[in-house]
Amino acid sequence: MEYILKNGIVYDPANEIKGEKKDVCFKDGKIVEDVSAAAKEIDVTDKIVMPAGVDTHAHVAGPKLVLGRLYRPEDSRRGVTQKTKNERGESGFSIPSCPTTGYRYSRMGYGTVCEAAMPPLEAKHTHEEICIIPNIDINPLTLFGNNWFILEMARENKIDEMAAFISAWLKITKGYGVKIVNPCGSEAWGWGMNVHGYDDKPPYFDVTSREVVRALAKANEKLGLPHSIHIHPNDLGHPGNTNTTIETLDSLKDIVKSNSKAASVRDQIVHCTHMQFHSYTGTNWRDAGSGAEEVAKFLNHNKHVTGDIGQVTLDETTTMTADAPMEYDLYQLSGLKWVNADIECETAAGIIPCIYSPKTPVSTLQWAIGLELFLLTKDPWQINLTTDHPNAGPFTRYPRIISWLMSAPKRISMIENGEVHNWAEKRTSLATLDREYDFYDIATITRASNARVHGFTDRGNLSVGSNADIAVYDLEPNNFDPSKDPEAVEKAFSRAKYTIKDGQIMVQDGEIVSTKPSQVLWTNVKGIEDQEKAVLDQVMPFFTQYYSVKWENYKVHDHFLSNPIRVDVEMEGK
Amino acid sequence: MKTITFDVKKRNQIALEMDEVIPDKIYSWEAEDFDKYAVPVGNSRFPITDFFDITVEGTADSPAEVKMIFNGDCGRVKYIGNKMSAGEIIVNGDADLHVGAEMSGGAITVHGNCEAHAGREMTGGTLEIFGNTKEFTGASYIGEWRGMRGGKITVHGNAGKQCGECLVGGHIHVKGDCDILAGIHMRKGLIEIDGNVNRWPGGQMKNGNIIIRGRLGRLLEGFVEEEIVTNPVINGIEFDGTFIKYKGDIALKGKGHLYIDAEKNRDKLSAWEDEDDEYISLGDNRLR
Ligand SMILES: [Zn+2]
Repeated sequence: MEYILKNGIVYDPANEIKGEKKDVCFKDGKIVEDVSAAAKEIDVTDKIVMPAGVDTHAHVAGPKLVLGRLYRPEDSRRGVTQKTKNERGESGFSIPSCPTTGYRYSRMGYGTVCEAAMPPLEAKHTHEEICIIPNIDINPLTLFGNNWFILEMARENKIDEMAAFISAWLKITKGYGVKIVNPCGSEAWGWGMNVHGYDDKPPYFDVTSREVVRALAKANEKLGLPHSIHIHPNDLGHPGNTNTTIETLDSLKDIVKSNSKAASVRDQIVHCTHMQFHSYTGTNWRDAGSGAEEVAKFLNHNKHVTGDIGQVTLDETTTMTADAPMEYDLYQLSGLKWVNADIECETAAGIIPCIYSPKTPVSTLQWAIGLELFLLTKDPWQINLTTDHPNAGPFTRYPRIISWLMSAPKRISMIENGEVHNWAEKRTSLATLDREYDFYDIATITRASNARVHGFTDRGNLSVGSNADIAVYDLEPNNFDPSKDPEAVEKAFSRAKYTIKDGQIMVQDGEIVSTKPSQVLWTNVKGIEDQEKAVLDQVMPFFTQYYSVKWENYKVHDHFLSNPIRVDVEMEGK
Repeated sequence: MKTITFDVKKRNQIALEMDEVIPDKIYSWEAEDFDKYAVPVGNSRFPITDFFDITVEGTADSPAEVKMIFNGDCGRVKYIGNKMSAGEIIVNGDADLHVGAEMSGGAITVHGNCEAHAGREMTGGTLEIFGNTKEFTGASYIGEWRGMRGGKITVHGNAGKQCGECLVGGHIHVKGDCDILAGIHMRKGLIEIDGNVNRWPGGQMKNGNIIIRGRLGRLLEGFVEEEIVTNPVINGIEFDGTFIKYKGDIALKGKGHLYIDAEKNRDKLSAWEDEDDEYISLGDNRLR
C-alpha cells in the first residue's frame, strides 16, 4: 500500500529539515522518495509532521510494573475507559495496564520506547509483558551494574571477559544494551546498606562503583554496541549529589568510543538517565538547592555525555526502581506503602507511591531543576525528554512538559501566581530563564536525538528507507504562537492527528483506529561466540550452586519474544 | 422541585451501575430522556426502563432541586448517588455496593441494608442507613490510603468490617454493633459506635477519635490507657457517660484517642482488681 502525506510542515532534525512544507511518501511500511499516482493521499496541509516519537527511558514492562499494579489498585481505577471497537478497556494513571500503555503512547505519536531496567532473572517476564503491549516497539536494557559476575570481573579488571559476558547475557535475556543502576549500591542493599559516592564499596566485594562503571563502559565499547552504557548514578535523590553525578560522567571521558558500524550512529560514551534526580546541592532537604547550572555546564563542555531529564510533572505517581535503598529512604520520608524485592545475585528493586505536590518545597524544587536542565543545556541533541515514567510522572504528561518548554510566560505565571511553591523562585534560576524551545527543538528531544542515543538509524527520522513511523499533530506552526497558547500545544501533542507505525495508521484525530503487536529489539554481537562459551563455562559452577533457577529455565527462549528485531553487531576491527 | 420515582420492576442478576444517574447529571431530564438512556450492566448497556418504571414530576434548575426515590429491592443496583454533590436520594429497600461513594453534598437515605463501601471516600453531605452495612463503610478504595474526608454517615443497624478505614475526616455514627478493625489507619475524624465492638478498633491509627458506648471484645496492644473521663467533648460533641480514654496506636507514634464505656468494660482497666470490685490507685476522678 502506498501513501502520501500532503503539504505538511515537516520537522526532521536528523535531516536538518526545520519546518519545510513538503510531502512525505511511504510504501510497504518504509519511507520512500516517491509514490505512484495510485497512492492514497492524506491531506495534512500546514500541520506539523514529525518522525514518530522515541522514548529514551521508561519503565513499561516487567515484574516491577506488575507488583506496582497489584499493590496500587487505587491507581488502576484512574483512567478507566470502556472498550471500543478497536481498543480494550483502559485502566491506570501512573502504572497503566499493558494494552493501555501501547494505546497511550500511540495517541501521543510515539512509536518506540526503551524499557530501561530488565533484571536478567526476570527477563522472561519482561518479554511476556512486551508481548501484550500493542502498537509500539520496545528495546529493553539489561541490568548489569550490581551483577555478581560483573562485580568480580570489574575487580580483576577483566574487560575482555566482561565483554563476552555482556554479549552472552544480551543473547540470553534478549536485551538491547547495558543498564547500570546505583552501581554497587543495590548490592549493598542486600545487607541493608547503600554506597555513598563514586568510590565506595559494597560489603564482600572489593570493588568500587568507579571501577565497575569504567569497566562496563570499556566492555560496552569493546563490543561496539549500538547504545552506550546507560547509567543511573549513585546517590539518586540525595541533596548534594551533583558532585557524584559529575564525577561519574567525568571519569568516562578518556574511554575511546568503538569504531564499529553500530556504535558510529551515536555520539556519546555514556547516557546519564533522569539527570534531574542527580542534580541537587546542599546537605539535606532543608538546605537543598539546584545543581542544574553545574550539570548543564558540564554537558555543554563534554560531548561524550547525553542525558535524559526525568522531569517531575507534579502528579501523584508511583516510583519504581532497581535502586532499592533509595526507595527505602523515600519510604522513611513519606511513610506510604512500600514494596522491596531482591533479585538474587543480580539487583534489587523497590516501589513506593509518591505525591509530587506543587504546594511542597521539595517537589517544586525538583520540578524547577528539571526545567532548568532543559533550558540551560545548549545542545538539544544532548538532552532527551523523559519523566523516567512512572518515577517523576507518567509518560502521558510529555505534552504538558512540551508546553512548559515552549512557553516562558507559562512558566513564569506558574511561579508568580503561586501555582508552585516559592522555592522555584528562591532556590533555582527558573524564573530568570526566558529560553523557549521551538518545534524543531521539540522534535530533537523527543525523537531525533533519542533515536541517535540508542543507535537507531531506521527510526527517529524521515529518511528514505527508514520505517514509516510518523506523527502528525493538529497545529499549524506558521499561524500559531506556542508561547502564547501552551494549552493548545499540550492538547495537540496529547492527541496526534495521525500516528503511523510501520506504514499502518494507528491513530486518527486522537483516537485509536487500528492496533498491531509490539516488536522487541535486541542486540546480537557476532564473532565473539568462542569467548562467550569460555566465560559461560567459567561462571556455570557458581550459577549452578547459587541461582535458585536452573540454567535451562533462565534463558529467554525464542517463543517468549514478540516479533523480534535482531540488531546484528560486528565488533570493531572485524 | 423535581421528584423522580424509580419503581423497581425486577431484580437483575447482574448489578446495574447507576453512577450516571445522579442529580448532578439528570436534573434537567424528562421522562423521554430516561426512555432513551441505557444503563451499564456488566460489559453492556440496557435500557433503564427495562428495570424501572420511572415517573418525573415537577421541574429543576439545579441538582439541589432534585429528589430521587427508589421503591423496591435495589440489592443489585450499584453506585446509587456516587459522586453526587447536591439533591436528595431515598431508597425504600436495600442498596448494592458503593451507595453514596465519593459524594460531596446532598442527602441519601436508605431504608434497608447496604452492601460494602457505603459512603466510601465521601467528602460531604449525609448518608443515613436504617439497616445494616457490610464492610468498608466510609472507608477508602482498596489500596488507597485516604478514606472518607467529610460529611456524616449514620447507620442505624450494624456495620461490617473495617468501618471508617483510613478515615481522614467526617463523622461516622453506628447505632448498632461494629465488626473488627473499625477506624484502622484513621488519621482524623470521629467514629461513634453505640453498640458492641468485637475486636481491634483503631489499629495503626495516627489521630482522630473513636468512641464506643458498648462493650469492646479485645483491644490492640498499641493502645495505652490515659485516664477516665466523664462526659467528654469530642469534635465539639458532648458524650454522656464515663469512659476509659486510650491513646494510640503507639506503634506508629499515633496521637489518636479511643474511648470505651467504663462501666461495660471494667475488666479492661489496668488497675482493676477482681476481688473487691473496685479500682485502686487511679485517682479521684475514676469510677466509683
Ligand atoms: Zn528509570
